[in-house]
Parts: sequence; structure tokens; C-alpha cells
Amino acid sequence: MGFIPEEGKSLPPPGLVNRNSLWLAGVGWVSAVLHNAINHRPPVKSGVHRQFLLATIGWFIGYHVTKYENYTYARLDRDMNEYIKLHPDKFVPKEQKTFAEIVEPFHPVR
Amino acid sequence: MTFNRLLSRAVFVSRAGCRSAFTGSKPDMTNPNWFRVGLAFGTSAFLWGLLFKQHSTDTHEYKVRNGLE
Repeated sequence: MGFIPEEGKSLPPPGLVNRNSLWLAGVGWVSAVLHNAINHRPPVKSGVHRQFLLATIGWFIGYHVTKYENYTYARLDRDMNEYIKLHPDKFVPKEQKTFAEIVEPFHPVR
Repeated sequence: MTFNRLLSRAVFVSRAGCRSAFTGSKPDMTNPNWFRVGLAFGTSAFLWGLLFKQHSTDTHEYKVRNGLE
């Protein structure tokens, strides 16, 4: 869970339901189920409080991971766009040719 | 026989020091440890509350910084 500086707080926050949350909650739940199975208990029906707690911890961590991920990608995008603006000579738009200019005349041999 | 039992030290041996396998107990799955269950659910509820609070703070912060509220 990385610390997000001030500039990152103006980003839209991730939704409560997000991919990292779902995945890590699934990881927590499966680890609880595995723990049950290893100890010869009914895997899914026993220890619901453990399953729920581990899934919750996963969901919580996933939310903060998503927040940090959003900040990282936003920062990289901003730096990239600033670089492009500062070096316009390196990003000259290429002259576009239509296909009609490139393609050779077609002489069918039937 | 009773006389032998009175003399025998085995009478005074407490069960706590006994290393026989018959005194070890298996975890009792029919009586849940309600304290631990309550602690687990309580911690989960606390974490969910923390998450909702954090999300609402983040949303408010975003709206304020972008002039939407």
C-alpha cells in the first residue's frame, strides 16, 4: 500500500468494486478454504467467519493497490506527455500516403 | 488390592503431568469458539467501515479539488 502524495488526490478514486479487490478477496477466500481442507474440515461450509475475514482483508488491500496503480499510471502518462511537448522535433507526424499512391497498376493475367 | 492402591504413587499423580495419548484432546468442532467468531466478524465489519469511509473521503477530496462541489 504505497503512500499517495498530494498531487494524486485529485485523481478519481477507484470504485469500491474493482479488479484488484475482487482478485485479492478471492485469494483470501481460497486460502481460508484451503486451510479448512488441510485440517480435515468441510472446506466451504466450515469457518465462514474466517473466509469472510480473509476475503475482507483481500478486498481492503485490493482497493488501496488499485488507488496506487491509478496514481502510478497517471504519473507515467503525465511525464510522457510532458516529454512529448518538450521535444516536438522527435515526434513529427509522418507524411501519410493513401493506398492509391502506393499500389502499382493492376494487370490481370487470366 | 486397596492397600496396594494406597501405597502406589499412581494415585497421587495428577493428569496434567501425564503424557499418555488418551489425555490429549482433539479440537472440538461441535462447540464453536464464539469469542473468536465474534472477533473475526467484528474485525471484518471494522475493515468494511474503514473502506467505506476511505472511499467517501477520496470521492469528496476528488470533487473538491476538481471544483465539482
